[in-house]
Amino acid sequence: MTKLQAKNIVKHFDHNGNSVVALDGVNLNVEEGDFICIVGPSGCGKSTFLNIVAGLEKPDSGEILLNGNPISEPGPDRTMVFQEGALFPWLKVIDNVEFGLKMAGIPKDERREISQRYLDMMQLTKFADSYTYQLSTGMKQRVAIARALAMDPEILLMDEPFAALDSQTRDLLLVELQLIWERTKKTIIFVTHNISESVILGNKVEVFKNRPSKIKKEIIIDYRRPRLAEDENLQKYYHQILDELKSEVIARSKDETS
Amino acid sequence: MTDIHVKKSQGNMEDAANAALLIAAFIGVWQIVFMLGVWPKISLPSPAMVAETFAKIILNGSLEQSIGITLARLLGAFAISITLGTLIGFTMIKFKGFGKTLNSFSAGLLSFPSIAWVPFSILLIGFDEFGIMFVVVMSSIFSIMISTYSSIRNIPPIYVDAARNMGAHGISLFRHVTIPAATPSLIIGLRQAWSFAWHAIIGAEILMSIVGLGHILSVGREFLDMSQVIASMITIFTIGLLVDRFILNKLEDKIRKKWGLDNHR
Repeated sequence: MTKLQAKNIVKHFDHNGNSVVALDGVNLNVEEGDFICIVGPSGCGKSTFLNIVAGLEKPDSGEILLNGNPISEPGPDRTMVFQEGALFPWLKVIDNVEFGLKMAGIPKDERREISQRYLDMMQLTKFADSYTYQLSTGMKQRVAIARALAMDPEILLMDEPFAALDSQTRDLLLVELQLIWERTKKTIIFVTHNISESVILGNKVEVFKNRPSKIKKEIIIDYRRPRLAEDENLQKYYHQILDELKSEVIARSKDETS
Repeated sequence: MTDIHVKKSQGNMEDAANAALLIAAFIGVWQIVFMLGVWPKISLPSPAMVAETFAKIILNGSLEQSIGITLARLLGAFAISITLGTLIGFTMIKFKGFGKTLNSFSAGLLSFPSIAWVPFSILLIGFDEFGIMFVVVMSSIFSIMISTYSSIRNIPPIYVDAARNMGAHGISLFRHVTIPAATPSLIIGLRQAWSFAWHAIIGAEILMSIVGLGHILSVGREFLDMSQVIASMITIFTIGLLVDRFILNKLEDKIRKKWGLDNHR
């Protein structure tokens, strides 16, 4: 069943008075339970696309359909895990996780029950009463994931959530995220510039073309899980994506030097 | 944890020792200048003479009364300033064009000397409590307005994005995200406004009042009682310092720490 549909999304940016095309007709079908990874050169507009899906930015034309209904505003049915976590420093970890539930008017007892479950899933129970400054970057991203999952969204959006992590923490979270996906059956769209990340996580990898960007190629990765970073068999997918991206990166650097 | 506490209390002891040393040095220099006899006693009394005046005005209750009246006026006026200033600040956020214009005007009025409001206030309102409070309000409200306006405008957009993404909007977004996100910066504005209000109340009391700290300062001058002038000045200094260091600064530190704005590892 089609969960989310992006139809011909176009977005322009104003750059020093010039209009720059960021997205030039992006079409994407996301099936229920898909784990979609979007890879592309930096600045290719992949985060912009995710923001449009989240409803935080509006496309100049085209539309996003969620379960067949057009979306126009941000909503808790599409929760986002941001690159910097974007946790609220004035709230304890547990209150951060419960924030969306509180906004939805869910009573306190029920909120506690839900937040405990996700804190437990992300191994954060011990830190429930900590403030965010007391946590490492990896811990913060765990909280951000717990916060997004606690809303039980239709679709989970992740914008380079592991970009700031050290490699050990990242490898650990890459495995955990796969387990969570299998357990919760969530539909996930994950944006990254890291090819290995996309190969490990995605069952479909969408390669974005350089600006003006659209989807250049979809690569299906049908391989057992949990996939590990060191798995040699993933290399062929890695190179397949790398080949697609190489020309884009070269185009991009030409863009920047001219 | 305990390690940090030990370090902290050692730090506090050290600060206190340094402060004591500074005060002792100041009194020492003062005593020496006094003994050199550069100025007559009536113009520059000794530390002991000022201490005596302190004892006198404390024992007859006039110092306590003055402090009480001054602080009551100040707190009343400051409360009005915060309430009105914050509301106007919110309005400035809501109506962008209005906010921008008023922000420029307020910046001009921020540097307007508080004492210059006194004649206006005397003619408009009169030689009474409300006249004094008016001067204090006018001297501190612009600082509150500007700080409310800029604190909210400077919130990292990612907080608002994250909150909207989780379904917050309207009043709940404002209450649960905008205000807490702006708090560390709002506190700085509050501190600045407090210092403006403190300048204003003493100035206004010197010129407009028959009671209060500013008043006993000006009585000292009228009776050529330098001891009372110095005692009043020390009191004003001490209260200003205590409020800033032990209330506002503490509050700011606490909030900065909780918001994770300090590097304390």
